[in-house]
Amino acid sequence: MPSYKLIYFDVRGLAEVSRFLFYLSSTPFQDYEVSDAEWLTLQGKTPYGKLPILEVDGKTLAQSFAIARYLAREFGFAGNSPFECALVDALGDQFKDYWGELFPYFATCAGIKEFGNSNILRREVGEPARDKFFTMLERVAKENGSNGHLVGDSLTWIDLTVADHITTLNNFSDGFVDDRFPAVLAVREKVMNDPRLTEYLAKRPKRYF
Amino acid sequence: KTMPTYKLSYFPGRGLGEVSRQMLHLSGTPFEDNRITMDDWPKHKESTPFGQMPVLTVDGKQIPQSFAIARYLANQFGFAGKTPLESAWVDALADQYKDYTTEIRPFLMVAYGFGEGDKDKLRKEVAEPAINKLFTILEKKAKENGSNGHFVGSSLTWVDLLVSDHMGILETHVPNAFTAFPTVQDIRKKTTSLPKLKEWIDKRPVTPF
Repeated sequence: MPSYKLIYFDVRGLAEVSRFLFYLSSTPFQDYEVSDAEWLTLQGKTPYGKLPILEVDGKTLAQSFAIARYLAREFGFAGNSPFECALVDALGDQFKDYWGELFPYFATCAGIKEFGNSNILRREVGEPARDKFFTMLERVAKENGSNGHLVGDSLTWIDLTVADHITTLNNFSDGFVDDRFPAVLAVREKVMNDPRLTEYLAKRPKRYF
Repeated sequence: KTMPTYKLSYFPGRGLGEVSRQMLHLSGTPFEDNRITMDDWPKHKESTPFGQMPVLTVDGKQIPQSFAIARYLANQFGFAGKTPLESAWVDALADQYKDYTTEIRPFLMVAYGFGEGDKDKLRKEVAEPAINKLFTILEKKAKENGSNGHFVGSSLTWVDLLVSDHMGILETHVPNAFTAFPTVQDIRKKTTSLPKLKEWIDKRPVTPF
């Protein structure tokens, strides 16, 4: 079995999906947290100057979704056919587009970068981005049979990504992902109740985002 | 098992659809190159999964999102890297390229004629920093990979195609953009001199981007 080291900040962010994949597959890994001070010296040594990075037997991989997809394929959470894998990827790419739209609201709430008043940003940036993205996700979940998954009939990394992201959105503003999106909330429920994640969810640090 | 039917729907440009057209052609796979003009697009928009193009239709089933399509075709035709870790690295470079397209977008929109702005100012303040940041990473990766004419591994991958085609567009707007990146230039030269790719480039509709 390869040795895995996931290197990220003390947040859930873009790496939580990969942490979930390790726990779901019962794969041991080093969950390495980088402090702000350490980042100053580490940044120049990373492939792209960003985190997360994954070390697999000492070889480094960058980019959060490339890491997630790689682990998902290794552990069986990428989709059950090439076509399903492509649909999962498409939703991941759409998430990234949405993420770009959401970023001013997200970054302000998270305290990463101030784009203005968070209430105004919620109304003018967060809510429109949410409505556009989650309306699409709700349709996708329903077309997939409202079976608790966004693609196919088993857990994939896009279920995990969306589930964790909803936690963050609701932390920033209670009830932000509301009951207009029942099929999507059901996807999240299924993730949060997966018995393979119970122990990790109970012991992981409480992180705002 | 009979060969699937492929239809790639996109605007009449190269942009985000070209890498997939190239892979279909390189693999000798017949496909419908469904080019939809901006004027006609509104009546097709609702029939796409995410209201965007490109969309690949495989035996009547749709895959949206340019990179999900590209990765799906790359996996089908052998342009995705030879091992899971190679595939992950191809994905990581493609994601880095995506981040770059967001950074350079304000310049390209003006350069392509989709918006008003000071092209020279944007070239200096937006385009050149974005290009230098991405291509420094690409040059380093190309050298680490052995300066063998590929970004990853020892055979053609979709990120070789993606970067090579983009360089062709970019150099018409940013002269001498790549003088500091000789190993990347070699990849482009090697890629674009593949006979089957030259065949496609010669017969494809000529578009500025």
